[in-house]
Amino acid sequence: MLIAQLINGLTQGSIYALIAIGFVIIFGTMNLVTFAHGEVYMIGAFMGYFALTILRLPWYLALIMGMGAAWVLGFFIEKIAFRPLRSAGHMPPLLITIGLAIILKDLAVIFLGAENRPVPSIYSETIKIGEIQISLLQLLILALAGILIIVLRLLIQGTKIGRAMRATAQDHEAAYAMGVNINRVFSISFSLASCLGGAAGVLVGIYYNAVYPVMGDTAGLKGFAACIFGGLTSIPGAILGGLIIGVVENLTVQFIASGYRDIVAFLVLVVVLVFRPQGILGKKIRAV
Amino acid sequence: MKKLSLTLLAAAFLLLPAAAWSADPIYIAVSAPLTGNYAEYGQNWQKAMNLAVGWLNAAGGIKGRPLELVYNDSKSDPKESAALAQKYTSDPKYVAQIGDFTSTACMAAQPIYDKAGMVQMSPTASHPKFAPGSIWSFGIIGTQAGEGPFMADYAVKKLGKKKIAVLYINNDWGIATKDYFVKPAKEMGADILAIESFFETDKDFTGVLTKLRGYKPELLYIPSMYNEMALIAKQREKLGWTDVLLSGPGSLYSPKLLEIGGASVNGLYTSAVFFPKDPRPEVQKFVKGYEEKYKSTPNMFAAIAYDGANLMAETIRKAGTDRKAIRDELAKTKDFVGVTGKITFTEQRDVVKDYRRLVIKNVEFVLYEGK
Repeated sequence: MLIAQLINGLTQGSIYALIAIGFVIIFGTMNLVTFAHGEVYMIGAFMGYFALTILRLPWYLALIMGMGAAWVLGFFIEKIAFRPLRSAGHMPPLLITIGLAIILKDLAVIFLGAENRPVPSIYSETIKIGEIQISLLQLLILALAGILIIVLRLLIQGTKIGRAMRATAQDHEAAYAMGVNINRVFSISFSLASCLGGAAGVLVGIYYNAVYPVMGDTAGLKGFAACIFGGLTSIPGAILGGLIIGVVENLTVQFIASGYRDIVAFLVLVVVLVFRPQGILGKKIRAV
Repeated sequence: MKKLSLTLLAAAFLLLPAAAWSADPIYIAVSAPLTGNYAEYGQNWQKAMNLAVGWLNAAGGIKGRPLELVYNDSKSDPKESAALAQKYTSDPKYVAQIGDFTSTACMAAQPIYDKAGMVQMSPTASHPKFAPGSIWSFGIIGTQAGEGPFMADYAVKKLGKKKIAVLYINNDWGIATKDYFVKPAKEMGADILAIESFFETDKDFTGVLTKLRGYKPELLYIPSMYNEMALIAKQREKLGWTDVLLSGPGSLYSPKLLEIGGASVNGLYTSAVFFPKDPRPEVQKFVKGYEEKYKSTPNMFAAIAYDGANLMAETIRKAGTDRKAIRDELAKTKDFVGVTGKITFTEQRDVVKDYRRLVIKNVEFVLYEGK
């Protein structure tokens, strides 16, 4: 049972990790936090749901559509909430994203209904390795999350825009002085982060067979927690943070009770931050 | 959109006959979840009660006055149902109230109806403490005190499963439903291996299912609504856990469970107070009328609301429109023939129901034939 719970935890954690990486990319390049990320994830999930049910597309096309919708949404959020306020400091964009989150969520409730939408099952078979039975879908989700993370890494390390992102992350002005188009970098970073959030949304919908308008609330919070846990600007940290939160939650269900899963997960977060305020893989932050 | 069209439908339906009346309508307030997680159930109510009232008004109303139901959306949120109770009790045009859906929402509004002196008749609240909580409160679905032992008997004696684990929804209703199952099941010799709960907002059951699987139960008893049940059944299937029977109370009996759960709910054992294939004439009249009007088969929630509306109309016919007179007349109800069986209120203003044993085969509810 322990191994089964670990796999449950890793699957859930890999989804948190995808959300957390989005926060890291946005914070890393733009030095800003978005609170509309959970809603981007929700819109991605709904797009995936419609692709699977109304358009009857296979799951991989649904995943791509969910990611595409989230990309477009991210593009517009950056344009509306961040670009006009580039020099206005941290607070105004933050407040705008909170407002956008509420607008997106309520629009979804009004137009899509507040109830759960049932997502059709895929790969509901299991495979047996020795004594342990593993769900194919869980393996698929773990693999997809892994692939997305590897692609992201290749993109950041190996392409021109990736280099521009890294340069911008280090120093906005220096990058600008060296001829990097900062606006383009911000726009692409935000869209890319949203796209990963959308992917997480589609995967969650398929995994739990349900999408609903308020699904972004806890997911956004958990993803943000995983991001802080990992150190705010570290992608490996965000991945580790996501996986740890997922595993802790499921071990709590196993050894304590279902109702304590969030309590224990956030307690671990608080304890880690008390002893390591910079997160597990973050650099020490000096007072600005 | 859906809500708007339903409202229009209801409005059109209510306005058409009303145009021909000379006397003022009699207003009954309804507090129901028309949106939100329980919207489906609230809309079932609305359809069934509109059907009942439509027939009643077509046949001349109550002593020449048309009956009119006024719906307001509570989302079955206890805050909203309490606010609606304030609104209804303070408006003298309302003679009685039907609703709300969940026991929690009903019990939150109960003190307000109690204080103001207005009948609060819930078609679905089955918490054993609901109806006894106020002389103004009536429950017509039967309580878990009746259904719990019935389901325990089904699991332990009829299905012969003695190793049982329970997974319940953590709200007033879920806790009561669990308790009224566990106690008699133990008395019948069952071993309750584990009891776990989940929250109404939970969507991930893989962790708790993995844990329960470790206890190797033969039967999983799941007091929940169909939404969660469908997710639990599907996620259990994904985990490859096949050597366990699923069972749950009559709250699961809905075509939606089959629609959402698909093949994963095959072999699920449940009960029902209403079965559309029941040959009794009143049942067939209701089922045919509902199917003609809405192009779908009514479920238990529609049936019980239909009975509720008819019972309320019958009571007002006898008692008039005084709130207190309605309460006293309602409490005297004996052998009222409904589509969900006969209604006779106990001293506690709830009813004892007859249940049917059902099982899902090939994604369809059928009567359990027994061994």
